[in-house]
Amino acid sequence: MLRAKAIWILGLLGALVMIFNLHAVFMNLPDDALQGGVYRIIFIHVPAALNADIFYTIALVTSVLFLAKKDFIYDSISVACIEVATMLVLVNLVTGSIWGKSQWGIWWAWDLRMTTQLMCFLLYLGYLVVRPAIAEPTQRATMSAFISIFAYADIPLVFMAIRLPNVRTQHPSAVLETGQMARVYWTSFGVGVLALLLIASALVLVRLHQETSQREIDSLRRELHAL
Amino acid sequence: MSRGLTTAFAIARKDLRTELRTKESVNASASFALVILVLFSFAFNLERDEFYAISGGLLWLVYSFAGALIVNRSFSRELPNDCLDVLVASPAPGWAIFFGKAMAAFVLLIIVEAISLPIFGLFYDISWTKCFGPLVLIILLATWGITVVGAAFSAVIVNVRLRELMLPVLLYPILIPLLIAAMGSTTALLSGEPMAGDNMSYLRQLVGFDAIYTALALYMIEFVLVF
Amino acid sequence: MDIGSLKFLFYGYSAAWIVITAFVLLLVSRGQKIDRELTRLKSLVEDKER
Repeated sequence: MLRAKAIWILGLLGALVMIFNLHAVFMNLPDDALQGGVYRIIFIHVPAALNADIFYTIALVTSVLFLAKKDFIYDSISVACIEVATMLVLVNLVTGSIWGKSQWGIWWAWDLRMTTQLMCFLLYLGYLVVRPAIAEPTQRATMSAFISIFAYADIPLVFMAIRLPNVRTQHPSAVLETGQMARVYWTSFGVGVLALLLIASALVLVRLHQETSQREIDSLRRELHAL
Repeated sequence: MSRGLTTAFAIARKDLRTELRTKESVNASASFALVILVLFSFAFNLERDEFYAISGGLLWLVYSFAGALIVNRSFSRELPNDCLDVLVASPAPGWAIFFGKAMAAFVLLIIVEAISLPIFGLFYDISWTKCFGPLVLIILLATWGITVVGAAFSAVIVNVRLRELMLPVLLYPILIPLLIAAMGSTTALLSGEPMAGDNMSYLRQLVGFDAIYTALALYMIEFVLVF
Repeated sequence: MDIGSLKFLFYGYSAAWIVITAFVLLLVSRGQKIDRELTRLKSLVEDKER
């Protein structure tokens, strides 16, 4: 089966790339002048957020497509992407909190970026909580699409939070744009994003397969009821 | 467009008339606001001057809890006797139905807020008459934000199990930017600051939030009502 | 590598992997439940058709 093969290939490849990247991060990179060894958390903290954004965007597109075309495959892709992306946001929040504790001495600060990212987590958590409560499939899919479109409005906010002028934030400024991150880190960073992308894609495909199976279960139940 | 507006006003009048005859949700919501105000007085042990720092936050927490109660009823009021199906099947455009209900919820929430504001001033010894003009503007803008997003989600979850639990789960994360702006500007106003400088950015945030979410809700409500 | 700061680094990466592993386990258990239900229903439908 093509899908099963794709899942295995993506998963294994992702795991290999991740192991290779971690090796490079821990063995080959020098310590940061100010932070010591702890800065290496960035190689999972930021890729998690970037990948979450990618999958939320895919979910937005498929939500709009569902409302336009009413094909359930779009709804399945939406929920799979949103589940994996929400998990990645949780990784981002937790690793950020631990990094913050080590650097600034506090587990949490209500600065704009952390607040908007937490808000993003809560918004999509609401999506995941409301979905099972709607029994009828078409209604569930429509409402989920609606919620996902409303919730997406936060993502640009998170992205722009550290770039807005006059906003007091503890967060370090955007390292990618200003190029402040030393060149030696760029490959490891990019490879980290790629590794997480492969792993997350494998998870999305698994979840997608589960959604299709669930729909098959529903139709079998209807058939049994009819027989 | 003008026919749609006439329909919207007709629906708003209908909702207000039914509600003001029984006064169910206004009574329930105002009583709830009162109870919360009392509970908060036990929650904090502050000097009178220190209290001004949390005054805005407190007020908008009370208003948003009361608002969730009112807004929940907007669409669920139509469930008995299949009234919602009749409304949706009628020639009235979806956006007109939604806009009418949002306006009715807005008026009801303003009534509850008007009742709670003097009580708030009384319990916590906070003077709100000096800054009355700008305060009213902030209250109107933020209340519209709460009601428009609340009515939209009320339509989404009208057929969901545990409706009263799901609405806060969905509504409050989306309202976070609105509440931050409302709370910040109300605290500033009650503490005697004029409506200028930093506070203008709060006003801009409120207007921006209202504009974006009103447009989004009006555009998308058709999908939610007719799925 | 500065040993002192490694404590938080360890916590950070462990937390990340715990979250990811927990999610994978959740997916696997849900998948098994779905597969069981699917085989059960398929056999029921076959029985009824016979």
